[in-house]
Amino acid sequence: MARGSTTGAGGSRGFLWISALSLGLVVALPALFVVLVAVFPDLGRGSLAAPFRPLWRVLSDPALAVLLRNTLVLGLGTVAVSAALALPLAALRALFRVPCARVWDLLLLIPFMIPPYIAALSWILTLQPRGYLEQLSGVNLAGLLFSVPGIILLMALNTFPVVYFILSRNFETIGARFSDVGRVCGAGPWRAFLRLTLPLATPGIAASLLLVFAMAIEEYGTPAALGRRIGFEVLVTGIENRVSEWPIDLPEAAGLSLVLVLLALAAFAVQRWLLARRDYRILGGKPQPFQKRPLGRWRLPVLALFALVAGVATVLPLLAILAAALGRTISGGLRPDNLGLTNFAELLDLGSGGLRALSHSLSLGVATALLAGGLGAITAYAVARGAGRGRAALDALSLMPNALPGVVVGVGIILAWNQPWLPVSPYNTPLILLLAYTCLLLPQPVRYASAALQQQGDSLEAAARVCGAAPRTAFARIVLPLMTPSLITSMLLVFAVASRELVASLLVAPVGYETISVYIWRQFDQGSVGLGMAMALCTIAITTLIPMLLIALMRGRLSPG
Amino acid sequence: MTQGLPPALSVRALGLSYGATRILDGIDLTLPAGEVLALLGPSGSGKTTLLRLLAGLLRPDAGRIEIAGKAVADPGRGLFAPPERRGLGMVFQDYALWPHLSVARNVAFPLEMQRCPTAERRARVTRALERVGLAALAERRPSELSGGQQQRVAIARAIVAEPPLVLFDEPLSNLDRELRETMVDEIAALVADLKLSAVYVTHDHAEALALADRIAVMRDGGIAQLAAPATLIDAPASAGIAAFLRLGTLLPASRTEAGWTITGSRVALPDPPNAPAGAAARVLLPERALAPAATASPDARARLAARVLRVQVRASGFALTLRLAGTEHEVALLSPRPAAPGDDLELAFAPEALRWFPATDDPTDHPLP
Amino acid sequence: MKLSLIAALLLATATTARADVTVYSAGPGSLINALAAGFTATTGTRVNVFQATTGKIMARLEAEAANPVADMVISASWGTATQFAEEGLLLDYDSPNAATVPDFLKLPGAVAEGVSGLVIAWNPTSGTPRPTDWADLARPAYKDMVTLPDPAASGGTFTLVEALLANDRKDLLEDLKDNGAIVAGANKAALTPVLQGAKAAVFAGVDYITMDAAAKGESIEAIFPSSGTVIAPRPMMILKSSQNAEDAKAFFDYVLSEPGQAMVAAAYLMPARTDIEADRPLIGDMKLMSNEGAPARDEVLSTFQGIFR
Repeated sequence: MARGSTTGAGGSRGFLWISALSLGLVVALPALFVVLVAVFPDLGRGSLAAPFRPLWRVLSDPALAVLLRNTLVLGLGTVAVSAALALPLAALRALFRVPCARVWDLLLLIPFMIPPYIAALSWILTLQPRGYLEQLSGVNLAGLLFSVPGIILLMALNTFPVVYFILSRNFETIGARFSDVGRVCGAGPWRAFLRLTLPLATPGIAASLLLVFAMAIEEYGTPAALGRRIGFEVLVTGIENRVSEWPIDLPEAAGLSLVLVLLALAAFAVQRWLLARRDYRILGGKPQPFQKRPLGRWRLPVLALFALVAGVATVLPLLAILAAALGRTISGGLRPDNLGLTNFAELLDLGSGGLRALSHSLSLGVATALLAGGLGAITAYAVARGAGRGRAALDALSLMPNALPGVVVGVGIILAWNQPWLPVSPYNTPLILLLAYTCLLLPQPVRYASAALQQQGDSLEAAARVCGAAPRTAFARIVLPLMTPSLITSMLLVFAVASRELVASLLVAPVGYETISVYIWRQFDQGSVGLGMAMALCTIAITTLIPMLLIALMRGRLSPG
Repeated sequence: MTQGLPPALSVRALGLSYGATRILDGIDLTLPAGEVLALLGPSGSGKTTLLRLLAGLLRPDAGRIEIAGKAVADPGRGLFAPPERRGLGMVFQDYALWPHLSVARNVAFPLEMQRCPTAERRARVTRALERVGLAALAERRPSELSGGQQQRVAIARAIVAEPPLVLFDEPLSNLDRELRETMVDEIAALVADLKLSAVYVTHDHAEALALADRIAVMRDGGIAQLAAPATLIDAPASAGIAAFLRLGTLLPASRTEAGWTITGSRVALPDPPNAPAGAAARVLLPERALAPAATASPDARARLAARVLRVQVRASGFALTLRLAGTEHEVALLSPRPAAPGDDLELAFAPEALRWFPATDDPTDHPLP
Repeated sequence: MKLSLIAALLLATATTARADVTVYSAGPGSLINALAAGFTATTGTRVNVFQATTGKIMARLEAEAANPVADMVISASWGTATQFAEEGLLLDYDSPNAATVPDFLKLPGAVAEGVSGLVIAWNPTSGTPRPTDWADLARPAYKDMVTLPDPAASGGTFTLVEALLANDRKDLLEDLKDNGAIVAGANKAALTPVLQGAKAAVFAGVDYITMDAAAKGESIEAIFPSSGTVIAPRPMMILKSSQNAEDAKAFFDYVLSEPGQAMVAAAYLMPARTDIEADRPLIGDMKLMSNEGAPARDEVLSTFQGIFR
């Protein structure tokens, strides 16, 4: 049967153009300037002198091998631990009736809402000698905390929700019907899951693990906070050092960034290769109702597992943040007379700028979610259903920001948009932050939407076209609503990450414009850790509650059944 | 009745290739308005591809398609109307119901696309759902319906806008047999009631024979025979078509001094009306022309001795499988009288019912399972 | 539709944020905010502040080199001023208010806003004896209890390491390493474990950060070592590329004015002017180490890394 459908071709040409143009402005332009700076070190001064010298210096430096090895160890380790944490939970959540499922979802969403630099600090405050844990129980885990496995574990605790949410949705879509067939064919429940359900979830697994890998090799906060102590440098900290430690070396930072980009592109190629080998369409045109199974005697052990993971990943860091936010001083520790609401009072004080930073970040978060979500949906569609050679390039372009550390995007954006000959420029306005966040976060909606499209049969869209819908209408009425649940999940993630993004914000924030993360960072850097933690707690609450409210409002309208 | 109207569908010299592979070649078809054309063929014969070309879901690279007198594809002139400008109805193999829309919204979609006013739209959706007997389920989600109900929704969606041509892409292949038979009757009634022009893709010849005014038998990307059902059964154009339609037993025949015999045996056959060239031929012994001989027949060559191998009891009689005496060939027969394996029977047939084909005709032909 | 609305809103906030003097300043944020507010109250001219670490400020200046945005820069590292002066990026301005600033806190084009000193930041509740000199921290009593900011990330620590090397006291660093001292990022990252009691003292703590924490009630004390320490002047400079040099000069003057310098003192920094009172030890009260004959920056850093990695 012919599968080479040209259904979308007519329409996706338009989408292809919109997506190519926007990606060009948002992603390619800053990236191009990063490459240019790596090649022409004096570009910032408008000179093309001494081409390739810094790039050569970076590539010939033996330290690069160490950075690369450490980056790979960190990335792969985080992927492995994330998968080990998320896979069983996602499968249980999707295929069985887990008691209080919504509560676990919320609790497992929170680690993702805790900015990594906050999480790292809260773990340090908890586990180091005389930390909260020792103050309460008399033991400390500093040995684990300040080690490579410790860094990997913390990063996995931060990233596994991505895998959990993508996979539980994925497993839910697959349902039990395929493994039921397998069981009839004589496979035990385990084998049926391992041989059928799990392979069918491959697109989701590959997409989410790739995201985790990219997030891990790009993450700055955790390796910077913990790795520096034990001399564990990765590419990102290497880049950041060259940008934030005087004397500044932008060309070398750009050169290292190119290495990082290549690494992420390699991961992307692996994912493509995995997906190209088989067809994973599981959402045919014949909708099936799906009943979750009861857990039976596994109820208590499963509950205990969820409680353990949620406790370690969510409750402990939250309690540490709360303790620091309530503490008047750090040295006062958990002594009752040291606890109070002083920090919160100061945060809400109009003069402290805390409220202003909150409103800045929240509006930027919403704007980024909308922009990245829209662009992501269009790009994923153009890539999945379009024709033409430009698609692979577009796909790669949409993923590339995953490999671009925030600091590099920041530098690229300044270089690109602060050219004197530009008649209008968003530079030095909050729009530049919108551009930076959209660039950094675009991969999320693109990946989520692609995974959703991958599993949507062609015939649903073909039917709309035959029914008289123009490509744009078919997209808006059929394709888009069907990927909406996935897209919304990704937009919520975008919102949460954008409202707390630190590294690029520090660099490109317009003069006099403070975001939440800049505020927190300023408190950590020179003010009080407690005030920063109070702000962090408010941010976590807001970025968790707003999406929850949205989901509650939209439930039933979007999800079928 | 439909005279004066342009044909619902006219296809000329249509072709499609992927790279160097020719998928479809030289397709010519005409479907008068109000008739049903079945595209019948084994999988891989190109019938679904042809349907997707008609729908506009694929782009042809040669030939011309006209729907209701309007050209919709003519690559020679750079003409290609996308699916939405062809005003078709289509029923997909997997139904392609949109899971996020209610039954009524699914059915209303084509009307919405035509910007049909709300009140009229509601009335027409209700009418379409009533036709398929689902008016009560209008507000349900497709996932809450059974397979047959989902199929009916898909049909309602395809006919609601009263398109000049409805395309059916193996619509019943996902249903169980009993439901399939009911649905064939329902679709036939619907098509007749609404005087629909339709193209119906299937690999099931019973469906095609039940529904179609004309049947195009497709093989290897071309049309092997285009004919009315009765003609097709009475006069298959090749041994391959006869085999595909399971019209009866194909026997190899050889010319001997004594006349034609079944090759490798001494069983004699009646002389063909037009003697095939050469010393060998293939002959179709149609199942419906065979009957157990009741009385002695004058012509010994219109009789065959056979031994019963297997018997199946059916509501309509006894389905016998027999081996022709003196050969390894098996024939099938529906007998009104019971028989037991091992019984010897005399079979009679009318000599003019035999169909002769050249021996070289389609030697690789096998009916598909 | 929604999107363009939000874009419009963002643009609106952006345009209202346009101001007259744009200053990129290293911490503390409360100081530059107070200075900006005081200046606006006196002159009516608005000051727009980009506040970040010296490193981030330099990165932004570097990236903006083609089209500079800042009028004025206040960094925490004197080296940035010497470099900018060499590159000819600075506007030579002789502020009338700089008359009482000692010469070693001035360059053509730069005058110190204030000065910080390097101390031992010690937690009295850590259960360790009160240290009085750098070398104390290499004693067994402080085994595994000392942190150092990374000289690559902290200009102050760099200056101290530089001076130690210039005075042939590399062995002190080696002893520290042998005693289990760890390098922990920038200044604050080195201080936080000491505040919690995980560590007892910061070797090369920054005085004003330590004093500010103590003032907030943290259990921490800034101890000026008996064998001498180093100071880190914070250069303030007007960029030649400034489109608004007159207002920048006015702000420059304001920072060096009596009220401006009083604000510097209130942030526990040493005022650049010698005629301003401050509630803390001043340059004259300290024994200073010379960094005459110190190796180049790269060599200082690689020597340090050779010891601690």
